[in-house]
Amino acid sequence: MYRGREGQWAFVFHRMSGVALALFLLLHVIDISLVMFGPDGPFDAFLVFYHNWPFRVGLIAVIAGVVYHGLNGLRIIIMDFTTWGVRYQKAMWYGVLGLTAAIGVPVLWKIVPEILAAV
Amino acid sequence: MASSSARGRANRPRTFADARAMSSSSGELGWWVFMRVSGLLLVPLAFAHLWANNIAFNAGEIDFAYVAERLAQPSVKIFDSFLLLFAMLHGVNGLRYSIEDYVKRPRRRFTLKIVLFTVAGIIFVFGVMTLWAFSFEEMGNAVRALGSE
Repeated sequence: MYRGREGQWAFVFHRMSGVALALFLLLHVIDISLVMFGPDGPFDAFLVFYHNWPFRVGLIAVIAGVVYHGLNGLRIIIMDFTTWGVRYQKAMWYGVLGLTAAIGVPVLWKIVPEILAAV
Repeated sequence: MASSSARGRANRPRTFADARAMSSSSGELGWWVFMRVSGLLLVPLAFAHLWANNIAFNAGEIDFAYVAERLAQPSVKIFDSFLLLFAMLHGVNGLRYSIEDYVKRPRRRFTLKIVLFTVAGIIFVFGVMTLWAFSFEEMGNAVRALGSE
């Protein structure tokens, strides 16, 4: 297992969230493309799967992945294009984690009751 | 040492100066810059997309009527076109980095990349069709309506 410190974990999470989001993106463009078949097409039938609670929990993971990947991406840009970025990369990573959690709590507060109400 | 420089695999550049020094004419410097530029643009694009469909709306109630109404708006078409373009290029290039990092056998590497680019290309065309497949007359009206707002 990694003996790495913060920078390595930042990379591992960035890579894992990136691969997951890219694969979800391909699926998501396909599912939205189903609207091309019109109101009587397969779109609503397909969406029934998305509205099941395990998929909605998965969508929360997608949101968390986007927030982490986006904020850590800003950290990478700062490291690459400033003279001081690498010096503060560890503090910035904790900032990324803190901001992800800070955004995550109200998101959960909004979405979890919707999922419970629909179960 | 490990904490400050372990973001990429061993031979990946870590700063713009690194990237420029390591690239020749391979186009990799261009992709390196593109990942940062598109990443910066994708932060507001993707965050706004998630806000509109998961926070401002209950995603569990999304149906055909909701999507059709959204995609009928020229502003959504234009916004989603930028999101689709940058997300697809950024995501597929990221998957390419992953294939090159983890798939060691040259033939399998090559095959996987060809499959990825083909599948992603077809899906991208689906996305463009979904956003823009309506008549030219409607498209003209939509652009005029956008200008008069």
